[in-house]
Amino acid sequence: MDKTIKELHEMLQNGEMTSKDLIQESLKKSYEVQEKYNAFVTILDDAKETPVTNNLLSGIPFGIKDNYSTKDILSTGSSNTLKNYVPFFNATAVEKLLSAGAVPINKTVLDEFGMGGTGTTGHTGIVKNPWDSTRITAGSSAGSACAVAAGVYPYALGSDTGDSIRKPAAYCGIVGYKPTYGMISRYGLFPFASSLDHCGVLARNVQDVAIVVDTMKGLDDKDMTTWDSSTIHLYENLDGKVGGKKLCYIKELCDIENYENPTEELKRHLENFKEKLAICEKLGMEVVEVSIDKKLLSALPSVYVAISCAEATSNLSNLTGILFGSRGEGRNIMEMMMDHRTKGFSPLIKRRFVIGSYILQKENQERYLKNAQRVRRLLVDTWKNLFKTFDAVILPVGSGPAKHLDSGNDILTKNAEILEEHLQIGNFGGFPSITIPDGFINNLPVALNITGNCYDDENVLNIAYAIESAMPYKNQIAKEVSHE
Amino acid sequence: MPKFTSELVNDLAKKLLIGLTPEENKIVLDEFLIIDENLQKVEKFENIKSVEPMTHCLDDFIYTLREDEIKPSISIENALRNCEKVEGREVEVPKVVGGEN
Repeated sequence: MDKTIKELHEMLQNGEMTSKDLIQESLKKSYEVQEKYNAFVTILDDAKETPVTNNLLSGIPFGIKDNYSTKDILSTGSSNTLKNYVPFFNATAVEKLLSAGAVPINKTVLDEFGMGGTGTTGHTGIVKNPWDSTRITAGSSAGSACAVAAGVYPYALGSDTGDSIRKPAAYCGIVGYKPTYGMISRYGLFPFASSLDHCGVLARNVQDVAIVVDTMKGLDDKDMTTWDSSTIHLYENLDGKVGGKKLCYIKELCDIENYENPTEELKRHLENFKEKLAICEKLGMEVVEVSIDKKLLSALPSVYVAISCAEATSNLSNLTGILFGSRGEGRNIMEMMMDHRTKGFSPLIKRRFVIGSYILQKENQERYLKNAQRVRRLLVDTWKNLFKTFDAVILPVGSGPAKHLDSGNDILTKNAEILEEHLQIGNFGGFPSITIPDGFINNLPVALNITGNCYDDENVLNIAYAIESAMPYKNQIAKEVSHE
Repeated sequence: MPKFTSELVNDLAKKLLIGLTPEENKIVLDEFLIIDENLQKVEKFENIKSVEPMTHCLDDFIYTLREDEIKPSISIENALRNCEKVEGREVEVPKVVGGEN
């Protein structure tokens, strides 16, 4: 299971192994990973082999984040409110993979309904980082990132509303890609914030994410925000030819002088990033430093919270425990719903709902929601202006490697929260965005991100492919660090 | 605009049919203060009111409405399969009219 999709496919076609062999290996590994890192809500012991066809994904195991609806398979969103929920249909993205002959092996843990960035708020408990089990995986696609990094299978599905594919990929030393908004149907994905939600994938190399998204994408009558991407061929267009491409990075995020009392990890992370820019130049790309209004950037985290909380409050108002979900106790319907929601939602979700509700009050909408949406446009326009000159924006992911599980009360380096949150701009604009590992700090992986203009996914992936090929971090399987 | 107070937080939570502990109430207040402070700064951005709020990712998206067409829908069995209390083809709930309020 440490092989690429193409290698596995060739082995299956040559008869060196069977789909059944792969499934058994993946299930065995699932139980080991569950024991050590708690990555799964459900392990599908009855997973069945599929015929090996010309489709690269046929017969090969994969993981599904537990906020994708899976027919006749428990789908909880990692929430107590849906702890027994079994859909009667498949999400379109899942259906497309099944049609290709791919074999689901497990459902992976997420932060409840995708509304967290740590992998610690799922109803089945904390997901630990396979590089260091005292650290977080980040979230919300925590179990998917953990399992792919640990070598359970070559890829797993994720969803990304703020950075929920790309941040855990970074912390687990793998690749995380969310394509342009609407390229993959969201039908059957539990909604969090509909204007920001993206489907995507986590794998161990760029070629694999291209293969998987080529299969998952496409127009869907059941999701009116999908668009015709039939002329986009991600895998076929990976040629690594990037000479003459232009990249930019943002001074306000990448210059250590912008940070008061920077941590040693942040210094090393930014130094490492700058070294990788030199690799980009060696590949024939032009790399330019640009400056963005810091005031605008600093509004980013609050704008994200305002928009996502408002949309989530509305989207999840159907969770009452009456029509589906576990029934609450009470003398009447109102009490039953109150009991269901109070006991079912984690404190984090409840807080987000209250903030969302306040923002949605008629008298508050102008000041909070509308202003947040105005700043969203300013940020997106700023990035779109960059894309007039540059093929992509390249930036470091986060302020260093994965944080410790007990670091919840740690105070971030001043201003580093923008570095932690900037991937959200990819969701504001629906931009294609991919994270690839770019080195190690204290034996823990760190990453860089490449984001391009909408519909320019082929270009973004090809740039990532070229950079990945020039670094030694492709196809990594997590090696747990020693604390002795 | 009503001040964001502990009482208001509880009132909003009640409308959302969510109970909050005093600790959770305090965290909401603290978290909201940060958002409020940041969005206050936004209000001072030059010409911010002239910016069209962005509600969707793709500005160039063309929405097309389907023709109304009757298609097969889900079965009642499927619709009810995740409901914990069912009577025949219906969802069972406590009596609403004349029931305990």
